[in-house]
Amino acid sequence: MCLVGPNGAGKTTLLKLVATLLHPSSGDAYVMGHSLKREPDEIRKLTGLLTARGFLYDDLSAAENLHFTMRMAGLRPRNVEIARVLERIGLAEVADNRMRTFSTGMRKRLALGQLLVRSIQVALLDEPYAGLDSQGMRLVDEIVREFKAAGTTVLLASHQDGAAVREAEQTGVLRKGHLEILPKSESLSRHLSLGGPAGVPEVE
Amino acid sequence: MALLRRAWAIVWKDLLIEARSKQAFNAMVFFAALVLFIFSFALGPDTELLREVFGGLLWVGIAFTGILSLSRTYQNEETSGGLEGLRAYPGDPRAIYLGKLLGNIVLLLLVEAVLIPAAGILFQTDLWPHAGGLAAVALLGTIGFSIVGTFYAALTVNLRAREVMLPLLLFPALVPVLLGAVNATTLVLEGDLMGEVGVWLRVLAAFDIIFFVVCIWIFPIALEE
Repeated sequence: MCLVGPNGAGKTTLLKLVATLLHPSSGDAYVMGHSLKREPDEIRKLTGLLTARGFLYDDLSAAENLHFTMRMAGLRPRNVEIARVLERIGLAEVADNRMRTFSTGMRKRLALGQLLVRSIQVALLDEPYAGLDSQGMRLVDEIVREFKAAGTTVLLASHQDGAAVREAEQTGVLRKGHLEILPKSESLSRHLSLGGPAGVPEVE
Repeated sequence: MALLRRAWAIVWKDLLIEARSKQAFNAMVFFAALVLFIFSFALGPDTELLREVFGGLLWVGIAFTGILSLSRTYQNEETSGGLEGLRAYPGDPRAIYLGKLLGNIVLLLLVEAVLIPAAGILFQTDLWPHAGGLAAVALLGTIGFSIVGTFYAALTVNLRAREVMLPLLLFPALVPVLLGAVNATTLVLEGDLMGEVGVWLRVLAAFDIIFFVVCIWIFPIALEE
């Protein structure tokens, strides 16, 4: 599912709510049958959140960052698995370089790698294309397709157009905290950064 | 066991980052040396007086230096999106407290391993015959300081004036541990004729146990707020 909406519409807030990093001020929601309010830890086991900066450490190498992610997720870190993921995200050659030397795009790739080393059922991607070159954007599209093929639910919030956005089975437009599901027939382009009611606001 | 494994992962990560950057350790050692020099200059060359107040000066130095370490406890999480990054993982959030606490204890003990012998040389006090007693006091005092400090550092991490608020909130809560540590250090150095060191060590141990139970129990609430 793809979420679009202008700045401040609440896309990141919604993703953080689903990731249980924020508490709903009222009401409740269920993620894979688990209540946000009563079973946040069950939800954390099943979800992975990709943020703009990623949950990464500058003074650890790419491999060490993934190693830490696996340990914190309760998994036994295996070098073979870490090497496979680094290869997949195109960072195998800089596996031992400290992350402070990475570009924004490389950081975003490593943040995607953090999702791949875990066995998640819901991937929450906040602006996954931001800061990526065309090759990086293709990687995001491929990984989203892989998630879908593996039965992982993907909730993606984006301002930018991309294959993953266009191929979404459902698209929701978020305006001032209200979610409207778009009919399949409606063009998405006017809701993205091309302008329109939910794209970049007319004048800010 | 899962809690301990996750806590250990945080200790490993924090100490690895510190070993590479050495930001906190270097700052703490230089700051501690500076504090001791200032006291030394202020009190003059009277070696007898310096020995008498050694315990107090040492623990004032440790407390001031420790604040530097505590205020940085959660700062290295900022590059990774703040505490949200750690909270996003499944499992008991108390692992975050435990991991940060152990990291602070190790770092502060390493600084003390430099600071205490340096203070002995500066204040012309032979510490070697009292090494065992001093080590016990330093260990219990450091654990107590870190237990309370790591908790208050989490409480103040999101405040705009956290550098001011942390010592303001922390020092009143640390009075028992500083009192116990200063008295125990002085008695160890002066010779424990009445067997009072054991009493102060038990006070420190009791403080450590009580505050550890309270802090780790309410940490998830502090983290959410």
